[in-house]
Amino acid sequence: MSFLLACPNCGERSVYEFRSGGEFRQRPPASVSSHEWARYLYLRKNEAGETTEWWYHQLGCRSWFLAVRDTRTNLVKETYEHD
Amino acid sequence: MSTTRLPPHPAHVIDHEQTLTFSFAGERIQARAGDTIASALYAAGRRTFSRSFKYHRPRGLLCGAGQCPNCLMNVDGTPSVRACTEPVRQGMRVQPQNAWPSLRYDLLSIIDRFDWLLPIGFYYKTFIRPRFFWPLAEKFLRRAAGLGEINTQAKPKGGYDHEYRYTDITVVGGGPAGLTAAHEAANLGCQVTLIDDQPKLGGHLRFQTGTYDNIGEQSGLTGFALARSLRERVTSQPNIDVLSSATVFGGYEGGLLGVMQAKRLIHLRTQRVIIATGSHEYPAVFTNNDLPGVMLGSGVRRLLHLYGVQPGTRAVVVCHDDTGWTLADELLDSGIRVAAVVDSRYRLPDAPDSVEQLQRSGVEVLTSYAIQAARGTNHVEGALVVPLDAQRNPFPHASRFIPCDLICLSTDRTPTAALVAQSGGELVYDATLGQTLPQQLPPQVFCAGDVTGIHLLPATLVQGRLAGLRAAHSLRASETSASSHIQTLQHECEALEQEYRRHYEPYPQLGHAWTSKKQFVCVCEDITHKDLAQGVAEGFDEVETLKRYSTFSMGPCQGRMCATSSARICARYAGAELATRATTARPPVTPVPLGVLAGRKHQPEKHTPLHHRHIALGAEMMLLGSWKRPYAYTTPSEEHQAVRERVGIIDVSTLGKLEVKGKDAARLLDKVYTHTFSTLRVGRIRYGVMCDDSGIIIDDGTVSRLADDHFFLTTTTGNVEFVEQWLKWWMAGTDLCAHVTNMTGGLAAMNIAGPKARQVFSQLTDTDLSSEAFSYMACRRATVAGAPALLLRIGFVGETGWEIHVPAECGEQVWDAIMAAGAGFQIIPFGVGAQRILRLEKKHVIVGQDTDALSNPLEADMEWVVKFNKDDFIGKRGLQAIQERGPRHKLVGFALRDSGMAEGGQAVVVNGQPAGRVASAAFSPTAGKCVGLAWVPVEVASGTSPFQIRINGTDAQADVIDDAFYDPQGERLRS
Ligand code: FES
Ligand SMILES: [Zn+2]
Repeated sequence: MSFLLACPNCGERSVYEFRSGGEFRQRPPASVSSHEWARYLYLRKNEAGETTEWWYHQLGCRSWFLAVRDTRTNLVKETYEHD
Repeated sequence: MSTTRLPPHPAHVIDHEQTLTFSFAGERIQARAGDTIASALYAAGRRTFSRSFKYHRPRGLLCGAGQCPNCLMNVDGTPSVRACTEPVRQGMRVQPQNAWPSLRYDLLSIIDRFDWLLPIGFYYKTFIRPRFFWPLAEKFLRRAAGLGEINTQAKPKGGYDHEYRYTDITVVGGGPAGLTAAHEAANLGCQVTLIDDQPKLGGHLRFQTGTYDNIGEQSGLTGFALARSLRERVTSQPNIDVLSSATVFGGYEGGLLGVMQAKRLIHLRTQRVIIATGSHEYPAVFTNNDLPGVMLGSGVRRLLHLYGVQPGTRAVVVCHDDTGWTLADELLDSGIRVAAVVDSRYRLPDAPDSVEQLQRSGVEVLTSYAIQAARGTNHVEGALVVPLDAQRNPFPHASRFIPCDLICLSTDRTPTAALVAQSGGELVYDATLGQTLPQQLPPQVFCAGDVTGIHLLPATLVQGRLAGLRAAHSLRASETSASSHIQTLQHECEALEQEYRRHYEPYPQLGHAWTSKKQFVCVCEDITHKDLAQGVAEGFDEVETLKRYSTFSMGPCQGRMCATSSARICARYAGAELATRATTARPPVTPVPLGVLAGRKHQPEKHTPLHHRHIALGAEMMLLGSWKRPYAYTTPSEEHQAVRERVGIIDVSTLGKLEVKGKDAARLLDKVYTHTFSTLRVGRIRYGVMCDDSGIIIDDGTVSRLADDHFFLTTTTGNVEFVEQWLKWWMAGTDLCAHVTNMTGGLAAMNIAGPKARQVFSQLTDTDLSSEAFSYMACRRATVAGAPALLLRIGFVGETGWEIHVPAECGEQVWDAIMAAGAGFQIIPFGVGAQRILRLEKKHVIVGQDTDALSNPLEADMEWVVKFNKDDFIGKRGLQAIQERGPRHKLVGFALRDSGMAEGGQAVVVNGQPAGRVASAAFSPTAGKCVGLAWVPVEVASGTSPFQIRINGTDAQADVIDDAFYDPQGERLRS
């Protein structure tokens, strides 16, 4: 992996500067079934295609943001701060 | 055989005056400065350079350009160095490899006679039965196969390094196309990096002594003079960086190129890349085409014109275009007899003068002929040539034998295009040119020169200019004058290309499958035409599967010499309509030593602000994670005693330290810790455990409330980076408003502890340290020895004590003041060794040491930190589930009943069966025996069944201890 990632704060940088935080997932409310909860804990989509994922700019501004990346090509479509 | 050197010529790169010596297989060889190992050996009359991979056949110089596998040698202990590109250094020791006992008499060459043992895909077929035979066969095969030997005793030489570079435009290849492209792009103001794998720029022009026409104002120049002029133009441009003797071994995402220059790996980020890597010749397929004396035309030229070495005495030139004719001229000029020029073309387009001229020099000119076989035992003794009919098929019975000692092949060439595919372009088979050519380039990639399949200098120069202009224009679109210029050049270029294509006639594919003679396709892996035909017959009729089955293109040259032939042969037998495509060329394109990838050997370590004090005190240091920490200054037991009886001080700067500040700081902490912190009063400290959503412990530490909206957190050593990210992550995209600041490096921290700690410490601060004013688990800001400090009254080691946080730059000053104030009380510094005993006596858990990725607080004896009654927190749901199913095992304190020492990792044994493990253990001077923490089954934890610890194979009786071994009521701690 050597693609470039545009940090919303710092601009385009080498992916070496970032730490991946995995797929973006919504934490379910505490009321969901155990089955749902187990899915949240242990299952990932692992999409071959566009995925929204967390990235942390570890060697930069040290903040988290979201990136839409195609896992097949590593082309990053957009990056933005989660709000 | 001995070869004479040619008289000096301006194209030569050697210094005829300066001689060097080196050893080859123990013999002294004379070289001239500038020689490569191969050119020197060749001049010294050596013709066998290696033994082949499978059949141990003798192999000689083939490409002379670092493309083929034939000259891999061991140089000063480094295996598989290419002798044809490695410069001679005075006194270097060169050894042949893959030959035993010597290159001349390789006993394993007997395999050549027993080749039926090694058919295509032999590792799937042969030696499988009888079963008992396989281990023997394997031993033999492993010895016989492989390339070179690594000396496992050798000390790594080091000197490797990494470098990071950025550039606008990278031009890969320093031949005429690359030089022109770089010049053009630099003229438009771009920062250009020009990378070439040869020591000197100029590409193939460096070893061309013929003159060129139709190249504008430079017409009439010889190749090497043109090379010099192009080179000078480029080196005088300040915005061109030239990297010579450097190889681009891979193209990666984001415009990253992997470049190797000697022992340096350059990570080059580029916005645009111009691929001008040229093409290379590869051998035609005919019988004995691997015999020493069969050389590629470009290899012959290199020997002649760069090193002034006579490649032979009587040559046969095999060609399909004019390059062969000029080569014949050059050979004659150098005083080498040319027996024949064998041209596969049916009809020669023009230039009858040169034909006549050659004939007058006694050269037999055979048009519509091809080569059928090379003859000779260890070296070429002649060529068998055969006439072709109009369909390019041979008349085998009309073949003729021509004695010679050199066969020059100017037959097939293929673009060096691996980088194109790696940069996102496609390689598509072009039937006219018989090559796979770059197509559909992504917008940031450009190609110029031979890599486009057009081997014609006037076209190359135009392509180079065009590529340079286009690349620069795409970066700086404001230069509008460029776009009309681009159009003109585009037309010029297309006209030249069409002209070239019209006259192009690929060399015919003659090899056939029914001969028992060896016609090599892949010289690296010793794979013949017959092997491939058989592979297709066995069903591997697609080039990628045939590659995997036969291993063609998987040798040291990575298919440079065989990929195109193999694809064509595969297509031929598979009956495919020349749906030929190249196999994927993945990085690295050239072998990259692991040392280059690894780079400089270094182990970064972190030092605390008090590091130099520890060194001055002669502490025994140890590496904990990346931190250097004192293990002991004297002995752990002595230091332990001092803390329990008097007073000690320990450097705890390695603790992670975070400030959390903001209106929602308390809410954030309530969310990520299992404990509640919104209820913590200002000035108080609470212990906290963090879990992930499945309830697993991920960190622990103290949380001090400095103000309503201000907390100070400590984390486990080495885990602070993670905790910081974790806190920020749970805040991202929520309405929580707080700042998390990592203070670890900014603060020095030390812990003064022991019954006399208060007496010592009160000398250094005005703050009232009495238990009434400053109780256990309280925190205060104070001035200590003149430094602003944060004091935490906690007791990891179980004594009255304070954790003192001061700015890093005040660390030594405060440490010194404490040591001075404590002198009268015999204060001593203590290290990690003593701390381990002290904390175990208090049954204090260290997260990450006593817990692992499956530990939760309910089982780790920390039920009290989990507040199920508060709103949702990270891990609540997981912990609830664990609570419902009940604990499976527990972390308990234990003591060995008798003497003996347990240690972390040993098995807990119940009823003779392993049932848990020791987490930590130490000899407790207080208890007078070994104590520790262990994970045990629930029934053992409740004290209902006895257990043992298996120490070196014998089971030692152990008891669960519920309370701390030392000061179970915590009276000393609070006093
Ligand atoms: S000739 Fe080198 S891999 Fe086939
Ligand atoms: Zn950033």
